[in-house]
Amino acid sequence: MQNQENVDADGKVESVVSIQTSEYDSWGNLGDDDIMLQKSAVFVQEAEKVPFVGDKEPLSSLEAEYKSGSPILLEKIKVLSGQYAAIRRTRGDGNCFFRSFMFSYLEHILESQDSTEVDRIKTNVENCRKTLRSLGYTEFTFEDFFALFLEQLESALQGNETSISHDELVIRSRDQSISDYVVMFFRFVTSGEIQKRSEFFEPFIMGLTNGTVDQFCKSAVEPMGEESDHVHIIALSDALGVPIRVLYLDRSSCDSGGLSVNHHDFVPASEVSSDSTGSEIKIPFITLLYRPGHYDILYPK
Amino acid sequence: MAEDKYNLKNPAVKRILQEVKEMQANPSDDFMSLPLEENIFEWQFAIRGPGDSEFEGGIYHGRIQLPAEYPFKPPSFMLLTPNGRFETQTKICLSISNHHPEHWQPSWSVRTALVALIAFMPTNPNGALGSLDYKKEERRVLAIKSREAPPKFGTPERQKLIDEIHGYMLSKAPPIPQSGSSDVSAEKPTNEEADVQVTSEPAELAAAEEELQNPPANYRIVEEPVQEIRPEVVRVAREVPSSRPTAQAEQRRLETRVHKPAEDRLFTWAAIGLTLAIVVLLLKKFMKASAHGSVFIDES
Repeated sequence: MQNQENVDADGKVESVVSIQTSEYDSWGNLGDDDIMLQKSAVFVQEAEKVPFVGDKEPLSSLEAEYKSGSPILLEKIKVLSGQYAAIRRTRGDGNCFFRSFMFSYLEHILESQDSTEVDRIKTNVENCRKTLRSLGYTEFTFEDFFALFLEQLESALQGNETSISHDELVIRSRDQSISDYVVMFFRFVTSGEIQKRSEFFEPFIMGLTNGTVDQFCKSAVEPMGEESDHVHIIALSDALGVPIRVLYLDRSSCDSGGLSVNHHDFVPASEVSSDSTGSEIKIPFITLLYRPGHYDILYPK
Repeated sequence: MAEDKYNLKNPAVKRILQEVKEMQANPSDDFMSLPLEENIFEWQFAIRGPGDSEFEGGIYHGRIQLPAEYPFKPPSFMLLTPNGRFETQTKICLSISNHHPEHWQPSWSVRTALVALIAFMPTNPNGALGSLDYKKEERRVLAIKSREAPPKFGTPERQKLIDEIHGYMLSKAPPIPQSGSSDVSAEKPTNEEADVQVTSEPAELAAAEEELQNPPANYRIVEEPVQEIRPEVVRVAREVPSSRPTAQAEQRRLETRVHKPAEDRLFTWAAIGLTLAIVVLLLKKFMKASAHGSVFIDES
């Protein structure tokens, strides 16, 4: 999946920069992980041109990107601009889904000052902690990540001495020692949820890989830089109880004429059942734009 | 410990200190690992050879280096005790599962990795870089040898830690499996002499093996201070004198070869001289004879 970061939605493959070897042979042999490091170094060099979380840009910047591209995509971007005002890009380092989710969620809390939502998610976070414990994870291997997320959550609410501004949120999201820890927190939460409900997730995972649920979590969820799939989104949304809308910008088109941009709402399992009494389903406050291999944040009008 | 020296806000430092605490609170008989006092990113460890294997009874020392991005990036492991399974002073490739090349993940720890390393020892190396495929008997000999003394490595502070860990492991270790190889330990000299041999001898073996197996595997520590690679230096120093006599002999042989052409010429001249002398003598004799003869003929 990682290679797809270099393939944009238009199908053009960007050439990859040269490999630097000298930095990695300082400690003993060039083992398999060194080769992996080299591979990821190439990948990181490409990705580092973009900050972890970019600035808010008008949707026209997306249009400009595809100026000479596929007419279907241009048409779809036009449709998108009817409903969405802006885009915020994230770095294509394999963590883009989690990073987009992090920024989008914390920004929502910062702007809405919704303390009920903060209390609600805290309960879910504590449940996730229990899940990991019961799965046999050693406390010290995940507690730092949990603590750091809760700290960010707390500071998004105003009125404390730790409260932060929107600018500070952007700065923190670009600070590796915070941003990566929050991403890792989400990875733990996602992995815990998948393992807790392994029977539910097993068929999805069998469709993606030939491995077991356990192998999937160890190889595709917990390691940093591993891309997210539907399985990750469902698990994270369920575990934290946060609905997520994803818009798909690809070159698919239906024959019926008028082009539309497909979207899918990931609604937490708990919410679907409790809302079955008839109350309307909330529109997710997190909206992500998916282009093959990459997620960015979208802002509705 | 070093709490005051490090920025506790640094998440890697925080995590590492927690691992140290946990390691001390839950000691294991199978392994022991602690960071150097002057640098908590550098650890020493020792593992016990897994039971029911040719490594049983062995105490294998090694070092761990934790990256600044720990726990996002994996620790590096390197063995110092010759063991016949992993090359010494070479980074071990710790892809923990054989079936699936798994990536490092932050939910693992030094403890997890050490447990995995022990489990990894009796597995087939399958030609992996930095692996050795010694015979079981050789590994058994090395396992017994490994108990006698810890390897000599690095600064005095590091050595102190290595010795401490060795003492701890010995106190927890079961007796040596009795498989008729007690004579091996008996013939070994003690203390420092033994150390030099322990570090140098198998290293030479390994070097020879490397040439056969994996020529590019010869990358050694570069970034480390000089004293860290002392065993290596010792090995080289011991090798040089042993190779000198043969070099001298070779030189002597060359010198004699250089002398030869001159001698040859001398002999040639001598031979020519002798031949000439003989020819002259023969001619003289012939003349005499012919003179006689002619006289004789004339007479007759």
